[in-house]
Amino acid sequence: MIILKHLKVDDISYVSQKDVLRVLQRGLKRAKIDVKYSQGYIPHMLTYTSTPVPLGVQSLAEYFAVECSEKDKDEFLRKYNMSMPKGMRAVASYYKEKNPNIAAIVKASDYTVKYDSKLPKEIEDIAKMQSYVIKTSKKGEIIEKNIAPMLYSLKVSDNELSMRLASGNINLRCDSVIEHINEKFCLNIKINDIYRTAQLVESEDGFCDVEEVLK
Amino acid sequence: MWDKLKDILLKVQKPARYVGGEYNLPDMDKPCQERVCLCFSDKYEVGMSNIGTRILYHMLNDMPDIVCERCYAPDIDMANELRKNNLPLFSLETKRDIKSFDIVGFSVQFELQFTNIVYMLDLMGMPYYAKDRGEEFPPVVAGGPCVVNPMPFAPFFDAILIGEGEKNLKEIVLLHKECKQNKISKKEFLERASKLDGVYVPSLHNPTKRAVLEDLDKAYFPTKILVPNCEIVHDRSTIELFRGCANGCRFCQAGFYYRPIRERKVDTLVKYACELMDNTGYDELSLSSLSTSDYSGLKELVAKIKVEADKRKVKLALPSLRLDSFEAEIYEDMQGASLTFAPEAGTQRLRDVINKNIKESDILSSLTAALKYGVKNVKLYFITGLPTETDEDLQGIVDIVKLVKDLHYKYGKSKLLNIVVSTSVFIPKPLTPFQWEPQISLEEMYRKQDFLKENLRIKNVKYSWHDAKASVIEAVLARGDQSIAKAVVKAYELGCIFDSWSENFDYDKWIKAFEESGVDYNKFLKGFEEDEELPWDIIDNGVRKEYLLKERHLAIEGKTTPNCIGKCNGCGANKFARCFE
Repeated sequence: MIILKHLKVDDISYVSQKDVLRVLQRGLKRAKIDVKYSQGYIPHMLTYTSTPVPLGVQSLAEYFAVECSEKDKDEFLRKYNMSMPKGMRAVASYYKEKNPNIAAIVKASDYTVKYDSKLPKEIEDIAKMQSYVIKTSKKGEIIEKNIAPMLYSLKVSDNELSMRLASGNINLRCDSVIEHINEKFCLNIKINDIYRTAQLVESEDGFCDVEEVLK
Repeated sequence: MWDKLKDILLKVQKPARYVGGEYNLPDMDKPCQERVCLCFSDKYEVGMSNIGTRILYHMLNDMPDIVCERCYAPDIDMANELRKNNLPLFSLETKRDIKSFDIVGFSVQFELQFTNIVYMLDLMGMPYYAKDRGEEFPPVVAGGPCVVNPMPFAPFFDAILIGEGEKNLKEIVLLHKECKQNKISKKEFLERASKLDGVYVPSLHNPTKRAVLEDLDKAYFPTKILVPNCEIVHDRSTIELFRGCANGCRFCQAGFYYRPIRERKVDTLVKYACELMDNTGYDELSLSSLSTSDYSGLKELVAKIKVEADKRKVKLALPSLRLDSFEAEIYEDMQGASLTFAPEAGTQRLRDVINKNIKESDILSSLTAALKYGVKNVKLYFITGLPTETDEDLQGIVDIVKLVKDLHYKYGKSKLLNIVVSTSVFIPKPLTPFQWEPQISLEEMYRKQDFLKENLRIKNVKYSWHDAKASVIEAVLARGDQSIAKAVVKAYELGCIFDSWSENFDYDKWIKAFEESGVDYNKFLKGFEEDEELPWDIIDNGVRKEYLLKERHLAIEGKTTPNCIGKCNGCGANKFARCFE
């Protein structure tokens, strides 16, 4: 099984996850990679993606795994990059005997976002609270959500904001957090300027990059 | 522009439709002396599925010094955001203001898209009528199937391209490039354009002969096509087998308009199919034409392509099969598939009138074969309101459905058979032998639909019908003259857009628009006299008027005309190109 780390940037950040999967699978076909298919009535490609970023958010660290006969990870990467739109270029590839099930093991993600002026240091205080309730919309309804247990860190340096949020089964949407910050501090940070920079798994001393597991 | 767009893209549905960035995007940064924008007056999902604009887009981009971009009708939510933010409609590739292009082209696919032309011009910030757009605006031209009768929308355009874009679009773009280099005015450019084959300039009202490719096999066909990032209506690669149709069904505009018949060679098509499968990664390939089963090399083609498709795990789709030449063996490995037949009329008498040369026995044998192979779904298409139709003919539709059920009972391999019956309402279209006929009244349309609703209450049979009111408006828009344009503008002002999407169609607003703009729409629903000048007479589409008239008289007598594969019937279209080798 080959696992790819790829980008989701520029135009592609506006493509929904359902469509991203289709784009990936067509790319594999164009690359003439011998992907394994399910044995069901309607066979489908055996590919697995990681937890998606919200629509409009860009990412430097998306993952997807492919069951295929190709064992040479570098050759896979080369073929893949030749047949994909620019915004989904792969940056690393790994070979694993078994499916590492990235969607299940990832527990947090790092995000950074740049703003066109200096950001208030007070933003960091949100992460220091024991309990912090924000309003967010879920399936069209406005709900109240205590984000404190899912918000691991917030750091402001000059015009850049970095955050570490729960990701995976328990998930805190980065766009909800930014929308709340925009409202509370009267800012206009654009959702499209958010980048996911890493996906993390739990380790002895907190979190480490999922790539450590894949190496 | 891109920065401003970022703010609004997340407020609209399916933003992927507005950002471009598809795979196989042509080079937008190459040295360019002429920038063209091809507009499609429907949503991205529909426009991207259209093979005609696809061919023209890639053709222009493959020409030196020319860059071609695209623009589709934005959905209503996007249009609202654009207006709110004071942004003009933009091109997908480089997010340029459409007004800044050297030449703008519209594809007009069907009548209910007319208001969308006005909608898009409005969003572009251009006056609706060509006469109101001065030298500061680029020439706006139109092409597409609706140009059979361009009069109802002619006032919106500087020029209308009649016929095949591979020829006249290419020529007009090259001419404009030359005129631009020599600083020649738009007016003078249009004068010169009117001398080209297949270019009608409404302000000059010049008699125009349709532009036709002589040799389709040697014509441009793109195989490195755009692969969209979001789902579109026909999400697959398509090869075009041939243009034209030999059958001469008397209600069918496409059957007459696309003549003469020109085929691509089997080997050319196999080459295109392989390249398309490799370049796109699509998992479905379809063979397209007006009547795929009439393609002379179909068996050889399907056999050859099937090998290549299987190798690549690609599914082969065969649409538009005519009942009479349906070959069960093609369907051998399509068990459980659904089958679509279009007998069009319920009785042999009426099928003879419309020249749909299918016998009752053909229906029987084709269906039996299909059912034996395990077909589970049968779709049947009919037209109601055809000339000379009576209730007996409607009863004939019911009888065919019952016959299919009986056949399934006797021979069916599958346990269950679902039958879907769809009827549309007849629209007497220009350039058909029925162009002189009236359309039946709205009341009569409803009565016929009620008759079928009542009589098709049969187990496992579903009946669906086309909106009668939309058919009335479609008929007016298809048969009208230049006066229709002001009603289209009025309808747009009253809120009509995306009329082909049933949830948006508003009959009452259309009627109000005709009344307020002083257009007697009933004039175009009544029949025309045979010696009357028709609005589209100035366009020479190839098929002679006398031929259509002769066919009309044969129809009334209930006499058929054989298809022209074996013997030429002398319709006149062969003056453009040889029909057969």
